[in-house]
Amino acid sequence: MMRLARALACLAAAALAAAGCSSSAGDAGPAGTVSLLVFGDPHELAAYRKLEAAYENAVPGADLRLIEASDRKDLITRLSTSIAGGKPPDLFLMNYRFYGQFAKRNAIEPAHDLLERSTAIHARDFYPQALSAFQVDGRQLCMPQNMSSLVVYYNKALFAKHGVAEPKAGWGWPDMVATAAALTRDANGDVAKGADPDAMPGAPVPTGPPPVSYGLGLSPEIIRLAPFIWSNGGTLVDDDKRPTRFALDEPAIEALSEFIDLRGKHGVVPTDQEKESQDDEARFAAGGLGMLMSSRRSTTTFRKITGFEWDVAPLPAHRTQATVLHSDAYCLTKGSANKAGAWRFVEFALGKEGATIMAETGRTVPSTVEVSRSPAFLDPAKPPRNAQVFLDSIPAIRATPAVSTWPEIEDVANGILENALYYGHQPREVARQLDEQTRSLFERGR
Amino acid sequence: MLSRETREPVGFLRSRRVQLALMLAPFLVGLAALVVGPALVTFALAFADYDLIETVRWIGFANFVELASSTAFHEALRNSLGFAAVAVPLRLLIALGLALLLHRRVAGVGAARTTVTLPSAVPEVAYGLLWLWLLNPMYGPVNQFLRMFAEPVSIPNWLTDPADARAGIVLMSLFTIGETFVVLLITRRALPPHVYELAAIEGATGFQVFRRVTLPLMAPVLGLLLLRDTILSFQFSFVPALVVTDGGPPPYATTYLPLFVYRNAFEYLRYGYAAAATLVMLVCTGLAVFLQWRLIRRYRSRYEW
Repeated sequence: MMRLARALACLAAAALAAAGCSSSAGDAGPAGTVSLLVFGDPHELAAYRKLEAAYENAVPGADLRLIEASDRKDLITRLSTSIAGGKPPDLFLMNYRFYGQFAKRNAIEPAHDLLERSTAIHARDFYPQALSAFQVDGRQLCMPQNMSSLVVYYNKALFAKHGVAEPKAGWGWPDMVATAAALTRDANGDVAKGADPDAMPGAPVPTGPPPVSYGLGLSPEIIRLAPFIWSNGGTLVDDDKRPTRFALDEPAIEALSEFIDLRGKHGVVPTDQEKESQDDEARFAAGGLGMLMSSRRSTTTFRKITGFEWDVAPLPAHRTQATVLHSDAYCLTKGSANKAGAWRFVEFALGKEGATIMAETGRTVPSTVEVSRSPAFLDPAKPPRNAQVFLDSIPAIRATPAVSTWPEIEDVANGILENALYYGHQPREVARQLDEQTRSLFERGR
Repeated sequence: MLSRETREPVGFLRSRRVQLALMLAPFLVGLAALVVGPALVTFALAFADYDLIETVRWIGFANFVELASSTAFHEALRNSLGFAAVAVPLRLLIALGLALLLHRRVAGVGAARTTVTLPSAVPEVAYGLLWLWLLNPMYGPVNQFLRMFAEPVSIPNWLTDPADARAGIVLMSLFTIGETFVVLLITRRALPPHVYELAAIEGATGFQVFRRVTLPLMAPVLGLLLLRDTILSFQFSFVPALVVTDGGPPPYATTYLPLFVYRNAFEYLRYGYAAAATLVMLVCTGLAVFLQWRLIRRYRSRYEW
């Protein structure tokens, strides 16, 4: 009866849109067949394939089957339809901001007891900030694979060319704005004014030749804005533990105002037309951005850069140092047919050998203390030379609130912030819109 | 050698209706299992809170109440109706124009017909990705071309301006008219030549021939294509909106109903809510088809097909 219900549900899903019921593991080998659902760009997927090969080599008879989704949304679609179809993958890798909707619906097999019983990996090996992002009521649901944070990638060659001092620990927001302004240049190499503060909001840049390189790349997203709100002593939501709404206080609105000014007042970030034409990562790789705020994810892509040297620096601070957690974890599915095999893979992937392999690919900041301090991660021969920045940022890391409807909240909030940045909306009005348009989503997420 | 009698179907198989039913059976089974069944489940889910993971919870009309107050849904509905109102007549007009232009046998007409049909053969996602490049505001060939003679302020911002983005989606749909074109081309070629000879003898002008001869004779097929395109228009805005504009610029400039449904069902795991939106979409399609059918009937009674 359950199967019939699931089959019908899957048919219903097919009627809603053209999506099917993806299948997962086939016959189990001696050490078990384990399917793992991941997403990423080609460089990231290559890293997972390397891990897969190492695992199959290390564990005789093991067969890891990677299911590769194109992006995060595709991964969520595949996961939900496969759970409904009764054949979920054994494991999936998901960010803490998005796993809540599966945790709330009881689709995840808690890792808590498995971790307590494990002889291969122990809770004390991991950074507590990463572990806690995947805990519900003190119980460990998923096992963090990485613990990145927002940092500033910068083009060393561009800094040297224009004689601008490189960013260093302890720099403030005004330093960052001044640096970005000094790096926003026109085709002649002269400092270009990227915006006319007196122009109508949203009007195209009218002053002089347009910049060919911008000082900063920064996505108008809530996870990019949040660390600056915290850094300024502001609050993002009314209650960090049980949030019911966005509640930006005065310091938060001040940080938001500074954020919006990057485009309208200072003109140091590309316009929305420019951003739609070429995304920030591509612009940075092409030498058109002096700095880019991003997580560790960009490293695999940037390691392919051959034209210039680049490095990373900590985020600039308003008052205190703050940054935002970026962390993905391996989650076992409740419907997995081979939970023991899946856990065995988790032990390998997060153990010294597996974590070292992933660290060497450049994709992750290891979630385990030992590997994060090893040459596999800190090797100065592999950019970024100053990888220590990721580790130094850890004490200042904060996580976005845990709400099961967070994916929807982010989509709505990011749309508001995008219009705010590019069309110079009033910060107070933006704060009001954020609250008004997401309140029902917070309520549904409780 | 078999006798003639033994080759005759036996018993109930002799009935022509039974034979027809048997031949139709594979299609009917497929239709029932893959379309009717899921559609019925979808209708039922419209009255439920369901995320595909936990059990179904029946909530009556709550999904529809929420839809009625949802800005995103209102925008999606308006966008979809607007798209249908603009894209469907334009697509039909262009296909008709091209069919009338290319129905004669002249040099190069084969190549021209192939060119018109070809974009419909490109897989949808590839077609979307192609347009993502074509409509790139800075480096795309469309704007590069426009920049040669247009003022900078009048150049469309395809991906960042709401109206321009909607126009871009309509523009994309205007090239995938291969099927409509082929049907109209065949219809035009099948029209009896003597009617045109008669019109020529009567000294009818080109426009009069079109108005009094071609259009009435092609009207049944045009009517059918209009209905078909209207139904399809609710669907073919999906891939462009997903691939090219991602439903934006924010908040919902190119979020059409199918994208709204897709997001809620597969990204936010709100299958019941999405099913309710699907039901509204179906009712809208039904209404649009009904209105057009009434119009066609009125036209038909004038010309007595």
